[in-house]
Amino acid sequence: MDTSQAPPGETDLYAAHKKIYPREVSGYFSRLRSLSLIILLGIYYVTPLLQWDGRQAILFDLPARKFYLFGLILWPQDFIYLAALLILAGLALFFFTALLGRVWCGYACPQTVWTEAFLWMERKIEGNRGRRMKLDKAPTSAAKIRTKVLKHAVWIAFSLWTGFTFVAYFTPIDVLASELLSFNLGPWETFWILFYSFATYGNAGFMREQVCKYMCPYARFQSAMFDSDTLIVAYHPERGEPRGSRRRNVKPAEVGLGDCIDCNVCVQVCPTGIDIRDGLQYECIACSLCIDGCNEIMDKMSYPRDLIRYTTENSALGKRQHILRPRIIVYACILLLLCGLLVGHISQRIALDLDVIRDRNTLYRETRDGLIENVYTLKILNMDSKAHSYRLWAEGIDGLKLVVDEPEILVEAGAVQQLVVRLQADELNLEARSVPVNFHLQAEDSNHLKTVEEARFVGPGKS
Amino acid sequence: MSSLPLDEIPRGQQAISVLWPSFIVAIVASGVFFSAFNPRDLTPYNLDIQVSPLAAYSIGFFLFWLLALLSSLGTMYFTISNCRFLKKQRN
Repeated sequence: MDTSQAPPGETDLYAAHKKIYPREVSGYFSRLRSLSLIILLGIYYVTPLLQWDGRQAILFDLPARKFYLFGLILWPQDFIYLAALLILAGLALFFFTALLGRVWCGYACPQTVWTEAFLWMERKIEGNRGRRMKLDKAPTSAAKIRTKVLKHAVWIAFSLWTGFTFVAYFTPIDVLASELLSFNLGPWETFWILFYSFATYGNAGFMREQVCKYMCPYARFQSAMFDSDTLIVAYHPERGEPRGSRRRNVKPAEVGLGDCIDCNVCVQVCPTGIDIRDGLQYECIACSLCIDGCNEIMDKMSYPRDLIRYTTENSALGKRQHILRPRIIVYACILLLLCGLLVGHISQRIALDLDVIRDRNTLYRETRDGLIENVYTLKILNMDSKAHSYRLWAEGIDGLKLVVDEPEILVEAGAVQQLVVRLQADELNLEARSVPVNFHLQAEDSNHLKTVEEARFVGPGKS
Repeated sequence: MSSLPLDEIPRGQQAISVLWPSFIVAIVASGVFFSAFNPRDLTPYNLDIQVSPLAAYSIGFFLFWLLALLSSLGTMYFTISNCRFLKKQRN
């Protein structure tokens, strides 16, 4: 491959990494973004603390193989819901990307959320962009070491808290906290806390925009979901060019320049270190900080705002803009349909499962009354969030008798109960050697909670 | 298409492009595998192994990661060596 013909923009991609010092900025979009980040961080750290029915509200209990989602308890056989949820999430990403562009990248992606949190701590400790750059260039000194140690200590503490919270989604947080406080954490819990903390520290502290550039698959294929009506962050070259510096309050026309004063604020605020004036680039995570940065400058210059703004390709070219377009409508319809199916299916889900295993040691035996008897082991799985007592009956043979030794079939919430029962039938009523019978199980307090399971009844057969 | 020969991509990025996709594949594989099989019911090679569920899930995850990693490593190796070979032929 001949590299000399490569466009310069592409070869830059693989140049040695230059550390990016995003400049702080304030404005409408940066406030909106901060709000989104705070809410998302809050959800992450608060969720394991929520309680429901005397247990953790959201818990992925791996040892017991149960997922608790508030009132819903999901079992491995409900894996289909998880798969459906993932498909829904994927479709939602398609839908929102087509409509709003990379709003996920700029406002909601964990990589963005934690990077911003780490940047915030960095700013509080090391100061603004200029001070951070000066500090990194400065020769090693006691003050520099102090600042750096403090920053990394705060980062590590925050990472450890993040790792602890992550593991608390799998081990109840009260158990985890008491184990931690008594230095009694299990080896794997310790490992995963450290693993997740390390990943947070590395990704949010050091890798930052490189994760988006080199590791994120979405960044590479999102352009496939874009069309000319997708919301993008764009510079207005007709208005801005030719760019050039000038004194304040000078009218652009007087000096033969466009509105862009080439102050580079848009480049300095960019967390991925690109120049939005070069056009739409795949490094752009649509965080819109350059919009705020530029608007601030435009205000100072008394020029109209929105030299860099949210727009669409069509509206930037002065064409008609279509929000409702086939792509959006199709995505929305599929999304709604799947959502409806999922909600409908979960609400119709019967939180009860019955498994019948025929005793394999003896085919059948004869009782003292001359009846043919089969023994079965029943496994009753109560997937509901509260205990139920159940009514059990069997049918399939005339005069079939069910013998249950327990006076009441009571199964705790989320428990499996084994039950040995016997079926008795008169030999005269058996039409074949092996006859199908049905076990019916129904909760005493609900007409909805019922299930049927087929089994075989074996007798001596017609002679 | 990248405009830069693959074998000139920095080591760090090579490492990530092997580690990272295999990590994602391992998450998916563990999810599918362990939703179907309870580690308590598994006795690999008839060995009597007593480990906690969390250990079983973790070890399972790392085995999947290792497998996917080997595959990614193979792809990376062959791509880079083919790239070098083609370059040599051309020169």
